[in-house]
Amino acid sequence: MKTINLPHYRLIRTAVFVWMTLVLLGAFLLQIPRINILEHTARNLYFHVPMWFTMMAATFVSAYHSLQYLRTNQPVRDVRAREAAVLAVTFGILGLVTGSVWAHYTWYQGTDLWWNFDPKQSMAAVQVLIYGAYFVLRSAIDDLEKRGRIAAVYNVFAIVTVPFLLYVLPRQMESLHPGAEGNPAFSDITHPIMRLVFYPAVIGFIGLFWVLYTQRVRAALLHRHVDGLYDEL
Amino acid sequence: MLSILQQATPDTTQAATAYDSVWTNPELPTQAASGLEAVMLSQDKLYVVLAVVLIIWFGLLFFVLRTDRKLDRLERKIADEN
Repeated sequence: MKTINLPHYRLIRTAVFVWMTLVLLGAFLLQIPRINILEHTARNLYFHVPMWFTMMAATFVSAYHSLQYLRTNQPVRDVRAREAAVLAVTFGILGLVTGSVWAHYTWYQGTDLWWNFDPKQSMAAVQVLIYGAYFVLRSAIDDLEKRGRIAAVYNVFAIVTVPFLLYVLPRQMESLHPGAEGNPAFSDITHPIMRLVFYPAVIGFIGLFWVLYTQRVRAALLHRHVDGLYDEL
Repeated sequence: MLSILQQATPDTTQAATAYDSVWTNPELPTQAASGLEAVMLSQDKLYVVLAVVLIIWFGLLFFVLRTDRKLDRLERKIADEN
């Protein structure tokens, strides 16, 4: 059974843990400019926004392996595509929930609202549903090879929607998110000290995705091995 | 004909926006918040950041525990076979 390069995995895992610890320290200890209404919640930039970057990275990893599955028909590619999609949905849900909490205490302060159909929110929710449908599709097909192929084709279509739903379309509409019509973009308004934490946070969360994803792939490959499936991986 | 229609359906587009283009509540509330709201808004809203970090922490913990359960099942299966 072909598995993961373990020394390589352990090295990156440890690096990610140390890196994320530093990100957390930086996120809370560095002074940031205070802006009315936002106040300290501006620090959520380091946590809420990387969720979406991580989801995008996960969907790209997933689509890459789906393409490779269609090309080579290796079952390991199907396993990798599925596990990356599981993490894409997980980070997507975390992004939605954290965004909702943040908005409730800033945009919607003084109201009972948690959700007001901001274009970016709505499209992000649609994006998570598109990836949710990937698992519904998988569970509907019993034959392993057929399931892998059909799911891979769907996954390649799903990745095409990602840049539009998360990036292009929300910027065409009026939204409270930065970069939208009528709002300055991230690059125009973000203080250098916040970039110092934000970019490492994006890298750190993507690293965290990679660690969790690799763990899942290891478990899934072992599972297939125990079941006597695809020993020729 | 057109004027009748217009009378029948008054223009309400000013009253509502199709989606989130304006701050829901441009005036900050004058009365003090209470309960959970008051806690979350205290310390310049630092607890909102705590809430967000905890959501991510518990979300990832939940994920790790699921992977853990998967490994447990595998271990039991291997133990049964031997």
